Amino acid sequence: MFCIAAFIVLVIISIFSARYRRLAKKAWGCVARRLTFRPCDTKFKDELKSRLLAHVALKKPQFVKAASIGIEVGSFVIVALTVWSLYVVFKSGLNLYVYGTCNPANAASCSLGAEACSIETAKPSFVTSIKELKLHSWLANEFSGLGETIAAVPTRMQDWRAEDYLPANATYEQTYSNTKPTALDIFDPGCQYCRQLYRNQLQANFASKYNVSYIAYPIANPKTGDGYKFRNSMIITRYLEAMKIKPLIKAKTPADWQILNRIFTKADSDGTSYQQKINIVLNGDETQTLLQKWMHEMGYADDDTSAIRTLAFSDRVSNVIENNRKIVEHKVKTVKIPTLIFNGQRHGGVVDIQDLK
Amino acid sequence: MFGSKQKNNSTAEATSRLEDFDYLNPKSIYLDSACQSLRPKSVCAALQEYYTKYNACGGRVKYDWGQKVDEAIDEARGAVLRLLHLSSKDYVTSFTLNTTYGINLLLQQLPQGFYKRVITSDIEHNSVFLPTMTLATRLGVERIVLSRTPTGELTYSSDQLEKAIVVVNSTSNIDGRKLSSIKELVRDAHERGGIVIIDAAQTMAHNHEMLIGCAADAICFSAHKMYAPSLGVIVCRKSLLRSLDYQIVGGGMVSNVTENNFKLASEDPASQLEPGLQAFGEIIAFSQALKWLDEIRPFGEDRSKYINSLGNELFEGLKSLPDVNVINAGPTSVVSLYSSKMDAHRLAIFLSSGGIMARSGYFCCHYYLREKLNLPPLLRFSIGLNNTHQDITTTINTVEKLMRSA
Repeated sequence: MFCIAAFIVLVIISIFSARYRRLAKKAWGCVARRLTFRPCDTKFKDELKSRLLAHVALKKPQFVKAASIGIEVGSFVIVALTVWSLYVVFKSGLNLYVYGTCNPANAASCSLGAEACSIETAKPSFVTSIKELKLHSWLANEFSGLGETIAAVPTRMQDWRAEDYLPANATYEQTYSNTKPTALDIFDPGCQYCRQLYRNQLQANFASKYNVSYIAYPIANPKTGDGYKFRNSMIITRYLEAMKIKPLIKAKTPADWQILNRIFTKADSDGTSYQQKINIVLNGDETQTLLQKWMHEMGYADDDTSAIRTLAFSDRVSNVIENNRKIVEHKVKTVKIPTLIFNGQRHGGVVDIQDLK
Repeated sequence: MFGSKQKNNSTAEATSRLEDFDYLNPKSIYLDSACQSLRPKSVCAALQEYYTKYNACGGRVKYDWGQKVDEAIDEARGAVLRLLHLSSKDYVTSFTLNTTYGINLLLQQLPQGFYKRVITSDIEHNSVFLPTMTLATRLGVERIVLSRTPTGELTYSSDQLEKAIVVVNSTSNIDGRKLSSIKELVRDAHERGGIVIIDAAQTMAHNHEMLIGCAADAICFSAHKMYAPSLGVIVCRKSLLRSLDYQIVGGGMVSNVTENNFKLASEDPASQLEPGLQAFGEIIAFSQALKWLDEIRPFGEDRSKYINSLGNELFEGLKSLPDVNVINAGPTSVVSLYSSKMDAHRLAIFLSSGGIMARSGYFCCHYYLREKLNLPPLLRFSIGLNNTHQDITTTINTVEKLMRSA
């Protein structure tokens, strides 16, 4: 263990000082023997260890044994940390390749991937697992996560067709055209990055090139009271699905798209964007009131508004939302919201305007 | 350039080094003189003088610098013979790389068909132990490894010396034990038609007197263990030189060359072991080292007595320490030990951290120490004229302190 630790430390020091490269080469010889299941070069190990202990031996000889044990423990820690670091780097790299984020459990925390809202998981942290004496379950989660990532590698390379993942009652931002390919936007109405992606699409005039459809996916969060990351996302999703069932007759842009447009692009009279207002200021009832006001402005009759309100909380809409959730989680298997499927690829997070053009 | 006058008072002796070594860091204690002794300033000056004032090739040249070199080399050859009280009628001095190379030059050129066996001893350095193996194989004769008594005598029967090539050390590099019966050995070998080649590497610096009058056929040693630069020396009987079957040949050793033959320079027999260019500066500085050794009286004492007093102090001090096994039978300038509680290499590293330089391992005596005695690696202290009584005290105290960490 000491040889391996010495090699790790010497390699790092050698980057900055040529003086240690000869020792690093010696240490590598020792490590190579260990890797091939042969005994380590004890001469090298003993010499290096003795050099580390020499000052202690001369000043406080009684502490040499303790220092020697300390070196062995330190070596074990260095090796363990290095092995773990390499594992994390490998796993993160694989996640970045497969999902576009180095941490699928918290996509927003990974600066290497595109900006996105995370789909949080309820897996306990390492510290929590230690506290609860459930290290084994933490390890099981850790390696099952790696297994899932490896299993998802083929999805990274597949040809993504938006048509394969469209929800029931799909609506399109512009009138559907057989001459245009289809794109599918999976978003949470409360997610700021979904708003950014929608605005990028507008600027890139994305809808003129693609039949753009969507799945509204309220990101779950078991840690919050209502179970969702953004408190009013589920209400909005219910209304959007209800409006798909009861569309606004003769509307040039479907009513649900008009609502999305207002949430993502408009602001209240005080300058606060509606998305921010819905996320932070309004409660559920107030959100419904706002949606009903917008529906009235868009041309819905009062009876229709009332019917949509009832429909939004019906089992029928609940089933639609549940089916959509299954599409996102089990078919698309994304860990980042928004996710945009177009041009044969699945893009996790915000897509640049240039890439949308 | 460097002065060589010595301080001569007891106060200086307690803490100071000889002026010849005052270039050393006061905190550095060098105790590896059995490998290579430090060089006094006058020797360094002689070497520098050659390189800066007459840096030329010797070897029968007509210009001043070259002739000065030739004179200096001749002087060095003569000084060696004078030191050993040998006549230039019977012996020559040749220079080479080191003791190992000198022994090999002789052994690997001994003729086929005359000698019956090769004899060596169990406490030999690999410089003797290995070439005697290859020699026996080449000549197709038996090789006998004889034991040495704890006091150094070779145990043999006269019959074993019949036409034998005897190659032994006169002083062990492990524990300094001496071949005190060297004269008897040479006499017995000669009576039986054998020859004796002495490895005197550990003898020449402080105990060359024991070789005077021994009449060995060849004495090989290293100038770098005699306070001189790196250099090997062979003192060889002319009759032995004449019997050699020369295989290692080249420039500087012939009087005439034809298309398919050559004639060795019989008027310069020393050159027959010196193919190619020699280390002129080192030979000249060696000559200065011999002068220095002749004149030096450390703190007013005889140099051998001074070394013996340091050796005695070191031996007694180390022997009294708990958990330390000194393998010497008695005090010498070379003291080796091991501890069951601490590996010798680790002890050497710890000592090095305290500025004390000592050698650890088997000192090229693997057969005797590892195979025969089954000993762990040893720690060896070897004293030189650079050392002081304070060095010895500090060393003993440091070893004692370090053993507490075991």
